[in-house]
Amino acid sequence: MDEYDEMYGIEDDFERQFADELEVMAELESNNPPAAKVSEFRNKPITQTFEEALVSGDQPSRKSVNNQNPESISPPVYEEEEESLTPKPKKRRQDVAKKLQFGVDQDDDITPPSSPEVYDREVRDGPRFSLTLSPDRPAATKITTNVLDISGLGALQESPKQVTAAKRHAQKRPPAIGDYITVTDSMGNRVYLNKKEDVEKTPDPRAFRNSLNGLGLLAVPIEVLKEQIAERRHRQVVEESQRLTELMKSGIDSDLLAEEQTDSGVDGDSGEDEASSRLWVDQFSPQHYTDLLSDDFTNRCLLKWLKLWDTVVFGRERKSRPVPVEARSNFTNAQNQNQAQRFKTKSQMTEEILEAELDQYKRPKFKVALLSGPPGLGKTTLAHIIAKHAGYNVVEINASDDRSAELFQKRIDTATQMKSVLGANEKPNCLIIDEIDGAPAAAINILLATLNRKDSKDGEETGVNALKKKKKKQSVLLRPIICICNDLYVPALRPLRQQAFLLVFPQTLPSRLAQRLAEISRRQGMKADTGTLMALCEKTDNDIRSCINTLQFLHSRGQKHLDQRSVSSMCVGLKDQNKGLFSVWQEIFQLPRLKRKRIGGDPFSGYDELGPKEGAQRLQHILHLVSSTGEHEKLTQGLYDNFLSMKLKDPGMLGVCSGLDWLCFSDLLNECVLHGQNYSLMRYFPFLPAAFHQLYAATSVPRINYPHSHYEAFTKTQHIRNALLAMLNDIPPAIQSRVCMSSLCLDILSLLLELISPKLRPVNPQLYSTREKQQLYDLIDTMINYNLTYRQDRTPEGQYTYVLEPNIEDVVNYPGLPPRRQLTYQVKQLIARETELERMRRVERAQQSRNPQKMETVNKNQEEKKTEVKKQTSRNHQQRLENIVKQTVVETRPELDFFGRAIVPKEKPVVTATSEDGKVSGVLNIGKAVGNSDVWFRFNEGVSNAVRRNVYIRELL
Amino acid sequence: MSLWVDKYRPTSLAKLDYHKEQANQLKNLVQCGDFPHLLVYGPSGAGKKTRIMCLLRELYGAGVEKLRIEHQSITTPSKKKLEINTIASNYHLEVNPSDAGNSDRVVIQELIKTVAQSQQIQSSAQREFKVVLLTEVDRLTKDAQHALRRTMEKYMATCRLILCCNSTSKVIAPIRSRCLAVRVPLPSVEEVCSVLSGVCRKEGLLLPPELAKQIAEKSGRNLRKALLMCEACRVQQYPFSPDQDIPETDWEVYLRETANAIVSQQSPQRLLEVRARLYELLTHCISPEVIMKGLVTELLSNCDGHLKAEVAQMAAYYEHRLQLGNKAIYHLEAFVAKFMAIYKKFMEDGLGNFMF
Repeated sequence: MDEYDEMYGIEDDFERQFADELEVMAELESNNPPAAKVSEFRNKPITQTFEEALVSGDQPSRKSVNNQNPESISPPVYEEEEESLTPKPKKRRQDVAKKLQFGVDQDDDITPPSSPEVYDREVRDGPRFSLTLSPDRPAATKITTNVLDISGLGALQESPKQVTAAKRHAQKRPPAIGDYITVTDSMGNRVYLNKKEDVEKTPDPRAFRNSLNGLGLLAVPIEVLKEQIAERRHRQVVEESQRLTELMKSGIDSDLLAEEQTDSGVDGDSGEDEASSRLWVDQFSPQHYTDLLSDDFTNRCLLKWLKLWDTVVFGRERKSRPVPVEARSNFTNAQNQNQAQRFKTKSQMTEEILEAELDQYKRPKFKVALLSGPPGLGKTTLAHIIAKHAGYNVVEINASDDRSAELFQKRIDTATQMKSVLGANEKPNCLIIDEIDGAPAAAINILLATLNRKDSKDGEETGVNALKKKKKKQSVLLRPIICICNDLYVPALRPLRQQAFLLVFPQTLPSRLAQRLAEISRRQGMKADTGTLMALCEKTDNDIRSCINTLQFLHSRGQKHLDQRSVSSMCVGLKDQNKGLFSVWQEIFQLPRLKRKRIGGDPFSGYDELGPKEGAQRLQHILHLVSSTGEHEKLTQGLYDNFLSMKLKDPGMLGVCSGLDWLCFSDLLNECVLHGQNYSLMRYFPFLPAAFHQLYAATSVPRINYPHSHYEAFTKTQHIRNALLAMLNDIPPAIQSRVCMSSLCLDILSLLLELISPKLRPVNPQLYSTREKQQLYDLIDTMINYNLTYRQDRTPEGQYTYVLEPNIEDVVNYPGLPPRRQLTYQVKQLIARETELERMRRVERAQQSRNPQKMETVNKNQEEKKTEVKKQTSRNHQQRLENIVKQTVVETRPELDFFGRAIVPKEKPVVTATSEDGKVSGVLNIGKAVGNSDVWFRFNEGVSNAVRRNVYIRELL
Repeated sequence: MSLWVDKYRPTSLAKLDYHKEQANQLKNLVQCGDFPHLLVYGPSGAGKKTRIMCLLRELYGAGVEKLRIEHQSITTPSKKKLEINTIASNYHLEVNPSDAGNSDRVVIQELIKTVAQSQQIQSSAQREFKVVLLTEVDRLTKDAQHALRRTMEKYMATCRLILCCNSTSKVIAPIRSRCLAVRVPLPSVEEVCSVLSGVCRKEGLLLPPELAKQIAEKSGRNLRKALLMCEACRVQQYPFSPDQDIPETDWEVYLRETANAIVSQQSPQRLLEVRARLYELLTHCISPEVIMKGLVTELLSNCDGHLKAEVAQMAAYYEHRLQLGNKAIYHLEAFVAKFMAIYKKFMEDGLGNFMF
């Protein structure tokens, strides 16, 4: 890293921007140089074959023979033995020589078959040989061991199976009975072999010959050899596949891979099978920061953000960077600087966020990075790679996991607070929450709570101290979290958005994508030119995944050559474009730019760019766009609201007419679809936008407003209908049967408002003439009949007004018409009061008429107690007072002595307040006095600790 | 009953002021104590409801006028609760099924069937049938109308239906054929005048005949409106003067202004303004048919001879589509745009002819 540090001084700006990347790269190189790793894997088999070649020397066909025919044992024997025993080829040669000497007389057997006949003989021999040998393997083993022992080479084969096979005779301890032979191998292990008299087994000469043969050629029995071969083959396959996967993962140095794949021939078979079952997307997914296709700036920002965590996670000090703006201002000219200050671009803002200070726990300001963008741009890949490269162990939560609140909490906690102890990679975790836009709001709240969790105890402490404590407590979030979503504006994400470091993924550059696609297709042996790949990119909207999948699909169908036509005619890579309504409207009202056309139409394919063909293409485009959008209702509404404000030359209004005719048609269609469930007609909906495109599209950028008009009209209609219904509901039935809503709207209300605002003198109604009184009475009668009243309302300015309730003025009034004459506030107040009174009177009358007898009795009672009742109702404080008096009276209980007996009172206690006795207690007197007087007050009544005492007015004055 | 409309409404067939012959026929119809299903139709303000109530009174006596409001709640098969207000006396039931919107079929099926299926207990004391009065039948959906067909026949013994609507064009033919159609036309201007002066006499007011005539014309012979206008005049200024301003309904004024705006300028911008005004009218619960009619009437007065025919044809075309469609604003605006185009072309041609 030192050399990079030195470089900082030289390339100031570059360093500042790319420091993190450089750092990571440097670390990577120092840790495990990827290239070396790859080459090591790749070279391994090669070296092996080289060794083998060395060993086998003059037998080039050996290997293939070996693979094809496992039964042919004899040649590999040596090789196997030699390889396992001695690493050095030279020594092997010697050994071979030694063995050859020991081999009794079969010289031509030892030399590996150089000619087919010899080999054939071997094949013929092989099975027979093994058959004969297998029954008396122990003997053979013994012999071989003997031979080995004699030869001094030592070892039995290291193959464990062989050892177990030998175990029946070989023992660690000297056997108690019988003879034994001591055998010591090269490692110094000593075993004891039982010696058996095999008298009964008089070897038949042929067998003996064979065994002798075996003695000479086969140092180990055939089974063992076979097993070894099988094992070796297995190992080879495993190695091969490992190597292949490694290569696939690395994804670079394609040439070598391709070469090897072609070279490896038979060996590659299994590997290729595996590869074809894999998705290319995984196969060619980038493994390194430099391989990333996504926008460099985005990558860098995320990396920088992740590096901000270094202080807290790895305890590394953050390198103090040169102060950017001031330092640079010397070099850059003033104009440039001005510009920079005036227009703070979004990227600059992002940079500033990244330069911001760490918080008290040395964490960056934003604890969460939120990557957002359409699918297929490589968000997940980026997050994984950057986290890996920054030295983290990636823990991922995605939509496939259960994301209920509790589990989410658990997983976040485990991911951020634990660390893998076992295993080689003791790296800190980095939590990646993928597809967070589908998570329930509760889970996101938990995430937020985790972010905002504070150490209450060591909140004041800062720095290392706090850090240490935290390690004990593990409650503050100390690990970076990267969230990934497609839709940034999901409601559940709203709170997270404010606290997250937002990174919006821009579109992948089609040129870069096409380059990568070309590489992949070349590696897979597919021919495709850049133009075609560019077309593919455009078709899939620069979706990396979709592009590669499409390529693979075409490849697997056996298409080795990709041309423009197949791309354009194919509907595979196409995904449902999920464009916003605004962009759809915009595309409808705007003619496509010329540049787009150039890319879309291939100049060599012989298409005429202009003329009807182009129009048809546009039409197709709009149709496709609209049908994939799907929100027909809203779309139509937007077109309707906006088409008149388009700037179009239409002096005869014919275009407008036909547009509206289209709208009418679409409305009829819609009605038909909805009414008759005739959904097959829905396919004609997209033609309305297409027609609008043909009619109104212009080159200028249209200004499109969101369509509110329909909704506004709807809410207003609802409001008015509700007012009308409220009015209608309480109109007496005799009138209600005559009015319906339409007649109210059309005929009655407007005139009714005139009727209920007569000219009344703003004086006390007592002073009205009989005529005026009659008029007032009529007015009130009308209002009651039509269920109208005035309600006091407070305007925002704080003034009080009377408005009609229900507010039918809204129903009647139109904007732009002269306002109707209003009654004065006083008159309205008067009317409101009188209406209320009249209403009460009517209710009373109605009750009376409904049950006249009851009412009569009530009346009688009322007449009897008229004055009393009236007094009570009008002055209800008196009632209260009487209660008070009662209470006070009740309180004066007969005094009791210690034993509970009543003390004979001096004066007779008063039990009730209503008793009209002349003898009243003093308290009662007071109560009465209070009750009779006009002024009275309460002191802390109802408060438990109140002290009740007499207070005189004069004390207060 | 303070409004003149309510106060001086005739309550018996004999007291009706106009279409006396028809009143007589109705009287004869119920003379025998029975009558077929009736379909009473005519424009608003002609006195359909008055006539029906008079008829019922003739049939059942004064008990019919003791009305009460009943709130019925009906659950549709889709478990939606419907609240329907019905006005009922002991002898009849008045329902406005179109209040239920799209579920009016359920109202017809449930409500009317229950009424129709129940027999009168004392058939000796009363008529053996009840009357169900359905208002605004033309706003019923086709479904509901079909539901009505069978009900009408099946429960003939216990129930008579009186259907009341503005136009029979939206009533399906099977129903029309099952009913005796009674058309109540608007009163003539003279009849309106006589009613107005009669009411004023009863009120002790003196109504100049010129004013009465003016009111009658301005109200479009809608008697309800005419009476209200008259009363409004009275409130504005009592000793009537013959050339008094007659208060108008606001929506008519607004619609007239809209028509003027259309005639004065033809451009997409103006069309936008007109659209806002149309929306305003629609939101005030003015039905699109009324708007269309009002617009056409106003626009035709601004047109020349053969243009009139063309505009009328256009209006008919768009009104038809309006009936078929769902979003009235599109059709209204399409009509306006079409008119603008025709009118503009006409004016330019006229100007061209004038130039040469």
